[in-house]
Amino acid sequence: MTNISFDNILLNFGFGTKEEKKKVLRENPDKKIFMDLTCYDPSEFYSEFPQLRGTFAALFCDELKKIEIHFVEKNQVVLNKLVELGFSPIETSIVSCGFIFPRTIVQIINEAYFALEEGVAKKEDINRAMKFGVNYPKGPFEWSEGKEIYVLTLLQELYSKTQDKRYIPSSLLK
Amino acid sequence: MNLKKIVVIGAGTMGSGIAQWFSQQKCSVELVDNSEEQLLKALQSIHISWDKLLEKKKLSLEEVTTMKESLVPKRLEHVSKDADLVIEAIIENLEIKKNLFKKLDHYFSAHTILSSNTSSFPIELMASAVTHERKKRFVGLHFFNPATIMKLVEVIKPKDADEQLCHDLYQWFDSKDKKPALCKDSPGFIVNRVARNFYGEPLRIVENDNESKMKEVDHILREIGGFKMGPFELMDLIGIDVNYSVTCSVWEAYQQEPRFAPHALQKQMVEEKRLGRKVKRGFYKYD
Repeated sequence: MTNISFDNILLNFGFGTKEEKKKVLRENPDKKIFMDLTCYDPSEFYSEFPQLRGTFAALFCDELKKIEIHFVEKNQVVLNKLVELGFSPIETSIVSCGFIFPRTIVQIINEAYFALEEGVAKKEDINRAMKFGVNYPKGPFEWSEGKEIYVLTLLQELYSKTQDKRYIPSSLLK
Repeated sequence: MNLKKIVVIGAGTMGSGIAQWFSQQKCSVELVDNSEEQLLKALQSIHISWDKLLEKKKLSLEEVTTMKESLVPKRLEHVSKDADLVIEAIIENLEIKKNLFKKLDHYFSAHTILSSNTSSFPIELMASAVTHERKKRFVGLHFFNPATIMKLVEVIKPKDADEQLCHDLYQWFDSKDKKPALCKDSPGFIVNRVARNFYGEPLRIVENDNESKMKEVDHILREIGGFKMGPFELMDLIGIDVNYSVTCSVWEAYQQEPRFAPHALQKQMVEEKRLGRKVKRGFYKYD
């Protein structure tokens, strides 16, 4: 995890366990904190830590660095700082475990892993099918490459929150 | 492998698109339909499409003339018995398909490959209507609409199909203007299975019938995900009933596996006849 501090603001980036994320918040009770919570449920953190003023999802962003951001109250200084760091933040009012883009693609990725696990097709055929059959910008395995830990963590978090079996991860992700 | 003579059975949207694509690959194509009216309509529409490509100078007059000559409407009993490949693209009714394949098995020569463009049924069930020998040359070839534009062809191998044959078909499509994907005969094949959560998960994110949240989800998935359309606008375009039916079919085929479960809102919208763009009311209003 990386922290960037300026004025009385702390921006927390990167992947960490839920406990590690909460530790950052506990250690900084007097700052306005904006935190990457791609793999977790922001509402759980908001209710526990009033110093958390916004959350964002940057772990799945590609070279364009477009990220979802949710503000408790809009903060232009933070938006400017994110732009300065090369990000293109897009505001959302929806507070959802795993935000919108990460939550949707981890489910697509998980299904692709189940298909692979069952021997339905090879990785390259699954990537190709989704790109040329339904015009996805990337194949599921291209999205997940090097990010499997985030996919698994978010699926486990969604399952823990909902107890819905639709979020049980493929054994190939474990 | 060199596919020269193709028979396409069914002159609906998919069948005529497939016939047009094969004609464009310099194959000789016989297009078959029970309805003469449908057959002529399909042929006319293909000719119009080629004429437009000629006007836009994307095809030459010689090419268009050759393609028009190479695409012939036929009655089933008059098609060439020595076709290299037959593609079935008729109504999605298993019994009708099985009866057709039984006839085709007897009619065509031993080297002819029989295939189905179905998106609903296991290829194996249709192959059960043909002889043991033909099963080796019986595959699924799943094209995507519009077949002349969408690059993907899923080459589906049922358990008795010859492995080398599937590989050769893959290579042949790969050498043409297609991007083939080889897959096992399993419900939804690749695309209709893996794509289910592009619709199912956003429905669970918005939770209920909330148009402003849907707009936001569509916006985020277009802007951040890079998808050409968001899930709600896409479902409206596909048809809520069509999308719901595919979801239910995959869900049932996987013994009601929760990952494929339809959302209550989809069922409600079908019951309320909010079927998407075609009725000007789906997730959004189109006035």
